[in-house]
Amino acid sequence: MPVAASAIYFLNLRGDVLINRLYRDDVGGNMVDAFRVHIMQTKELGTCPVRQIGGCSFFYMRISNVYIVIVVSSNANVACAFKFVVEAVTLFKSYFGGAFDEDAIRNNFVLIYELLDEIMDFGYPQNLSPEILKLYITQEGVRSPFSSKAADKPVPNATLQVTGAVGWRREGLVYKKNEVFLDIVESVNLLMSSKGSVLRCDVTGKILMKCFLSGMPDLKLGLNDKIGLEKESQLKSRPAKSGKTIELDDVTFHQCVNLTRFNSEKTVSFVPPDGEFELMKYRITEGVNLPFRVLPTIKELGRTRMEVNVKVKSVFGAKMFALGVVVKIPVPKQTAKTSFQVTSGRAKYNPSIDCLVWKIRKFPGQTEPTLSAEIELISTITEKKSWTRPPIQMEFQVPMFTASGLRVRFLKVWEKSGYNTVEWVRYITKAGSYEIRC
Amino acid sequence: MAPPAQSQRSPSPSQPSGKGEVSDLKMQLRQLAGSRAPGTDDTKRELFKKVISYMTIGIDVSSVFSEMVMCSATSDIVLKKMCYLYVGNYAKHNPDLALLTINFLQRDCKDEDPMIRGLALRSLCSLGVANLVEYLVGPLGNGLKDGNSYVRMVAAVGVLKLYHISPSTCVDADFPALLKHLMLKDKDAQVVANCLTSLQEIWTLEASKSEEAAREREALLSKPVIYYFLNRIKEFNEWAQCIVLELVSKYVPSDSDEIFDIMNLLEDRLQHANGAVVLSTIKVFLHMTLSMTDVHQQVYERIKAPLLTLVSSGSPEQSYAVLSHLHLLVMRAPFIFSSDYKHFYCQYNEPFYVKKLKLEMLTAVANESNTYEIVTELCEYVANVDIPMARESIRAVGKIALQQYDVNAIVDRLLQFLEMEKEHVTAETLVLVKDLLRKYPQWSHDCIAVVGNISSKNVQEPKAKAALIWMLGEYAQDMQDSPYILESLIENWDEEHSAEVRLHLLTAVMKCFLRRPPETQKALGAALAAGIADFHQDVHDRALFYYRLLQYDVTVAERIVNPPKQAVSVFADTQSSEIKDRIFDEFNSLSVVYQKPSYMFTDKEYRGPFAFSEELGNLSIGTEPADNVVAAQGVEANDKDLLLSTSEKEESQGYGNNGSAYNAPSYNASTTGASQSSLDLVSLDQPSAVHTTTSFAIDELLGLGMPAAPGPAPLPSALLLNAKATIDPNAFQQKWRQLPVSLSQDISIDPRGVAAMTNPQALPQHMQGHSIHCIASGGQAPNFKFFFFAQKAEESSVYLVECIINSSSCKVQLKIKADDQSTSQAFSELFQSALSKFVLP
Repeated sequence: MPVAASAIYFLNLRGDVLINRLYRDDVGGNMVDAFRVHIMQTKELGTCPVRQIGGCSFFYMRISNVYIVIVVSSNANVACAFKFVVEAVTLFKSYFGGAFDEDAIRNNFVLIYELLDEIMDFGYPQNLSPEILKLYITQEGVRSPFSSKAADKPVPNATLQVTGAVGWRREGLVYKKNEVFLDIVESVNLLMSSKGSVLRCDVTGKILMKCFLSGMPDLKLGLNDKIGLEKESQLKSRPAKSGKTIELDDVTFHQCVNLTRFNSEKTVSFVPPDGEFELMKYRITEGVNLPFRVLPTIKELGRTRMEVNVKVKSVFGAKMFALGVVVKIPVPKQTAKTSFQVTSGRAKYNPSIDCLVWKIRKFPGQTEPTLSAEIELISTITEKKSWTRPPIQMEFQVPMFTASGLRVRFLKVWEKSGYNTVEWVRYITKAGSYEIRC
Repeated sequence: MAPPAQSQRSPSPSQPSGKGEVSDLKMQLRQLAGSRAPGTDDTKRELFKKVISYMTIGIDVSSVFSEMVMCSATSDIVLKKMCYLYVGNYAKHNPDLALLTINFLQRDCKDEDPMIRGLALRSLCSLGVANLVEYLVGPLGNGLKDGNSYVRMVAAVGVLKLYHISPSTCVDADFPALLKHLMLKDKDAQVVANCLTSLQEIWTLEASKSEEAAREREALLSKPVIYYFLNRIKEFNEWAQCIVLELVSKYVPSDSDEIFDIMNLLEDRLQHANGAVVLSTIKVFLHMTLSMTDVHQQVYERIKAPLLTLVSSGSPEQSYAVLSHLHLLVMRAPFIFSSDYKHFYCQYNEPFYVKKLKLEMLTAVANESNTYEIVTELCEYVANVDIPMARESIRAVGKIALQQYDVNAIVDRLLQFLEMEKEHVTAETLVLVKDLLRKYPQWSHDCIAVVGNISSKNVQEPKAKAALIWMLGEYAQDMQDSPYILESLIENWDEEHSAEVRLHLLTAVMKCFLRRPPETQKALGAALAAGIADFHQDVHDRALFYYRLLQYDVTVAERIVNPPKQAVSVFADTQSSEIKDRIFDEFNSLSVVYQKPSYMFTDKEYRGPFAFSEELGNLSIGTEPADNVVAAQGVEANDKDLLLSTSEKEESQGYGNNGSAYNAPSYNASTTGASQSSLDLVSLDQPSAVHTTTSFAIDELLGLGMPAAPGPAPLPSALLLNAKATIDPNAFQQKWRQLPVSLSQDISIDPRGVAAMTNPQALPQHMQGHSIHCIASGGQAPNFKFFFFAQKAEESSVYLVECIINSSSCKVQLKIKADDQSTSQAFSELFQSALSKFVLP
């Protein structure tokens, strides 16, 4: 029962082939033409990321200005294929140093072919971990680490790592200064009705870690989540400390985390990979602290005038502040003239997205700036139907604030040499899809 | 491996046109081949890069093959890799040249650097040239025993590649046994995983040929092997874990203790960061507990949170893949998810394909406690600017109304939609109100009060118009204006393009007449006259039928057209539970996304006349959507829409099938005089009965079964075609070559039909209605080329047609080849008359 990919293509938006790697010959060579004719040049594009053409199925994803297309001829595992594409892109990014777009691909196509050779064999995903691949596929690619001239290197050990037995970390790392950076990044998703009741609200968070640690350290992370704390107090047989605890709906971990220990002791313990990685992801639906409340009133005065009043209230601590706040207030297409008054920030009318865009660069806590605008509309005869109001959307970042209330209680590092480490923790909450109907 | 596609389009100015550059490259490479000067490698690298980039954009650079091979003697690993890539791409089509590479690849397979050994072995196995397999066996054998795990890992997949080139060589060399040994013994997890994937594929393919292979395949699912993998599961990387979990999901544990042991062991996999691993684990859990109802429920509860997390994280494409699975589970057990309905609320910016799935799930989980919230939310979407979204939302509201007992509030909402005065909203709502009335006739008073206010001029979509007309007919006695609205519609008979609407109009005016004769008489007369003159066969026949029926006896007409109706209690579910179970069996695969079992999209006979046939000239592909073909072949349940929309589809399909079933005799009828057409009508009730039982539109025709109809007269020498004929493209090509041309004709066709040629799908679809199937099509205006085939009913004799249409001169060239040459003239007439009816609807 093969679930293997037959070919992978990278195309630009015009449909030119940037990369073309056939893994199996059970599909014809003209697959890319089929994709162009039946998907790219039709209205189909963007209607569904999985499409069947003839006996083949096409999975495609657009990443910046590139389409990545996987062709399969059998009943393949879709989730796996998309995850593979995402992981492969992460891998390429870590090689190119950031951007993944048409130019980057054109400049690095030999490297991409090299990588495609390693990460997939005959259509089956192999090893995609950048830490391991970077051991033997170097940017310059001049020498292989086991090339004959460096025969004194312990070859078997190195390849053992290549094939993933040791996994995510290699031995013998040395840093002068041992540092760990923890970033707790949350995004709040909100859907609020026009009457101000919360229809749907959740937080998806991730803990990003940057490790510069020597040797093979063992790390333990403590959070203020309910289950973990209860378990801890049970183990130490003393009552749980009072204070805010939160309930995580669901958690997923990087493969380095010892899941058995998480399930038995509810502690997050792991041997970290070197460098940057995503330690865990979580989701919370209960007890979310919304950083902003939006109170819109929109009045349609006759057929040609509208009055818009929007009050945005920051409900986090007065000492904190939000950055890059953008409020997008939709207005009808036939808007002719607008005039505003804002108590803070700047507003302007952006006709290309039919929105009033109100920007506040620095937004302190416990304040409530307002925007009031008058809008004049072009009167039309054909437009007899009333205007359907899209929701108000918000963007923001609030440093040192977590919408979930999650806090790192401790991060312990053990290493046999017993060095001291410096730990840095940052929190930030961003807007996911923050929508308020009006 | 096949070479990359030759670019069909003319290359853009920025791209090199090919020839000159390639020969330049050839020269330069030749000069470098022997050189040992310092810096040669860098120059070579640049040249190799150029070759590879030409190859990528589709320029044929196979002519530099020998130079590339000569230059490959280098210690630079990147150069080697580029060379391997090049060789892999072109070797298959230049087997002679491929022989040149064997030598250096074999040498590289013995290199002291394991990396080079591995790469060389991988390339050697990827050549894909059947005559060279003998050179593969040695290096592969050594590779499997190599001290380095990287080489073993490559060799394990290499065996599979060899199997695909030459199964017998692979089996004769006893590689499967070696792989099995390696799989159970190797220290390295990736080697083990690759052995497993290769063995699974080899034994599955081999199982049909040898019993031993079938046994070996079963042995993979034996307890010791499964436990061996489970115990090592944490050593595997995420992708290999998916493969192992897929294997485990097929294992049948002996008792419930074993099931619990396995689930406990795997539970932490649900927390894995890779969604594919989580889904594979879920599959194991679901399949293992199928027979234990209680535990199965608990599994649903347990997997809910991880699934919802996966949905909300990652790109839209990923969440679509997961949502499809969630959708499947929600459909199986909606009550478990009924409290999570808020997760299925749509975000404004989500792509439509995600929203659509969410709407279906919202519909499914609606129950007494959450219906109000869900319907309120759906009403928000109806006001959405996005028209398809608004339509889907209305349908969702309608579906909820049809499955709930307490419909009162929902009906009010639906009726409010009608007051929004947006054309698409009104249209969609009308269709729903009609269905609602069929199930809950008690609401007719509220509904028709509102429906009566809608001006028929504001309703343009055929489906909606038909629904409105149906209500006008059905509730003629309650709607004051009914006869007059119908009358005005009939006045515009000629402007009504949809046959479906005209059919409904006939029936509605008939119903109206039987209830309010004096007011409707004039309208009925006009409708029947227009109907009998109608060029559409079904409309013509129905009008004539009504006419004769009224002539014969009005009370019988009453009984047939206006029988007392029972409310529909349940609308037929389109997908049989058997098919749903098959999809569930194939959890975590494409089947779930397509919502049909894999045989429907992988087996050839289900895919229909759509193949990348290179031999049929440069024709592009018959672009028929697979769904249509499946439908034509009588496989129901191809449709993912439930209830309403499909009842619509079935209905129109019913018409279509009727059409094809009696079209052939009707040609005869036109020659033998009108007297026979009523006979035809009667004889048609048999094929249509299956389709019409649930569709209201033809309910009155059902009465046809009751009067003792005179047996259908045998129709002399009419050529009947098999509506479900199939042929596979290869067989078609073979036949085309074998048979002589039995008939060659030039004819002219109606320019209106030619106008419809702008849509290349229309003609094949039209012809299919006449049991003539398209196998391939292509061409560009003004010249189009089609290949058709048809099969005699109850005989295997087939007709093949090449049809070249020039749309500017309206000329058609026909070449017909037939098994039975004596009937080719009859077939040609049939074909031409079908073709002549091809006008845009």
